[in-house]
Amino acid sequence: MQNNSLSEVPHVVAAERMGGVPRIELRGAEKCFSTRGSEVQALAKIDLTVRPQEFLALVGPSGCGKTTVLNLVAGLLSPTSGQVLYNGAPVTGLNRSVGYITQKDTVLPWRTVESNVGIALELHCRNVPASERRDRVARMIELVGLKGFEKHFPAELSGGMRRRVALARTLIYEPETLLMDEPFGALDAQLKLLMQDQLQKLTHMAKITVIFVTHDLSEAIALGDRVAVFSPRPGSIRTMRKVDIPRPRDIFNVRFSDGFSRLHEELWNELKDGIAYGTNV
Amino acid sequence: MSATLQADAATAAMPQRNSRLWKTPAVLTVLRLLIVAVVLVSWEFSSDRIISKFWVSSPTAVFAVFQLWVIDGSLWIHLGATLQAIVIGYVIGCASGILLGLLLGFLPRVQRIFVPFFSAFYALPKIALAPLFVIILGIGIESKICLVAVTVFFLLLFATMDGMRDIDEDVVESLEIMGATRTEIATKLVMPAAKPWIFTGMRLSVRYAMTAAILGEVIAANRGIGFLIEYNSGMFNAAGVFAAVALLVLFGVAVTEFLTRFERGSAVEKLPF
Repeated sequence: MQNNSLSEVPHVVAAERMGGVPRIELRGAEKCFSTRGSEVQALAKIDLTVRPQEFLALVGPSGCGKTTVLNLVAGLLSPTSGQVLYNGAPVTGLNRSVGYITQKDTVLPWRTVESNVGIALELHCRNVPASERRDRVARMIELVGLKGFEKHFPAELSGGMRRRVALARTLIYEPETLLMDEPFGALDAQLKLLMQDQLQKLTHMAKITVIFVTHDLSEAIALGDRVAVFSPRPGSIRTMRKVDIPRPRDIFNVRFSDGFSRLHEELWNELKDGIAYGTNV
Repeated sequence: MSATLQADAATAAMPQRNSRLWKTPAVLTVLRLLIVAVVLVSWEFSSDRIISKFWVSSPTAVFAVFQLWVIDGSLWIHLGATLQAIVIGYVIGCASGILLGLLLGFLPRVQRIFVPFFSAFYALPKIALAPLFVIILGIGIESKICLVAVTVFFLLLFATMDGMRDIDEDVVESLEIMGATRTEIATKLVMPAAKPWIFTGMRLSVRYAMTAAILGEVIAANRGIGFLIEYNSGMFNAAGVFAAVALLVLFGVAVTEFLTRFERGSAVEKLPF
């Protein structure tokens, strides 16, 4: 029986099949935190490889190290042991080739929406002329559905809208890699689908590599080329599955496609075990 | 007083109920005038009948002194002197405090070396320095300006430095990942973040500036409202003392009113935080 969408790809095999340098690589990367005398192993030794332009989704319950993986790739944390490589070179200090959409709201409160969205383009390292900046900001604001709110301040927006501002200000400069930490969590179902659609179109067109963290398994399967299911305490990859649904995907109808429900069921069982374990602790 | 007048207007707009009748603006004004009248009349009556007018003077005498000051122009001279000391000292203090605060904020190592010295002087009541300023700068307006400037300087210095320190590391990191240089972090993040702190400092220090000027004049001066109080006290002119104090009260109310209106109208301070 041929199960197209259920091919499990061990990371070693995947690496061998890749030509060239993987965009991101974690080799035995482990992260421990010591808080108030006790050691917490946030991330057990994990191996992970991400191809250029791949969309990798990380799913799992809270506290299983998904955000730690993003922080390691971004260079905000360094691994307790093991290596974190970006384009073949170890990550030392802040990784400026990535765009990071964090869970925390870091939008500047004294700037309007359009001023916030355009901030990355103001920087010297990009040197975008003002007229071009205005156009790109306008297009990006429309893309995230905030048209009409250009002159508003973040304090006047809802939480979901502020997330979209954070999304827009990162997407606008099309970084080589995108790290996204539950960016669509605060959005309603319809808006979520719209944003997922926009995201996959944009990242495909601009050839952006993405690591996408989410609680929502459907979202992970709909968006990802591969889905990694995490298990908690200590965080580690329980399963990695390739999503064989062909691109470009129709986000609005993808869950009715053939392989989707099978993959969803299988991964859900994996996730469920992880969650049960978590609540027993 | 204006805030309560607004409250009065609001209650007047509401439908009247018997229990609310006593809150109407007309009734309140009448009650207040009544209190003033009672105080003045009892003061006038007790003056020289119950207590010697040497100690308490009387409303009529105080008013006469006031009239004299207005006529011979000395009211404006003294008022102007106090106002001048406050304004000039405030401007100097603000400018130097903010500039040095920004400088030290951007040079944390230098800041760490100097801050203990500044903290020591910050804790010192500047009034203790007033006689020193008089010795150095004389009895004229310069010593008052200096006193006000020093008071305001320390307030703004620490307001600025605290504002520059009060920055979320996560926000700094998010801009750095975007590719912002240290200078860009300074201009696009640190300075705008410090602005509300600086404005709060500017607002608070006006009242401290006033106190410093008046106290400086009381200690040693040849002009000003504080001087008037001290001078008349020294001359055992009770009427003069009361008149000067009344002038001070009016001055304080005027400054507060002006500030309230200025703050309300100033959109700059209405930061959406």
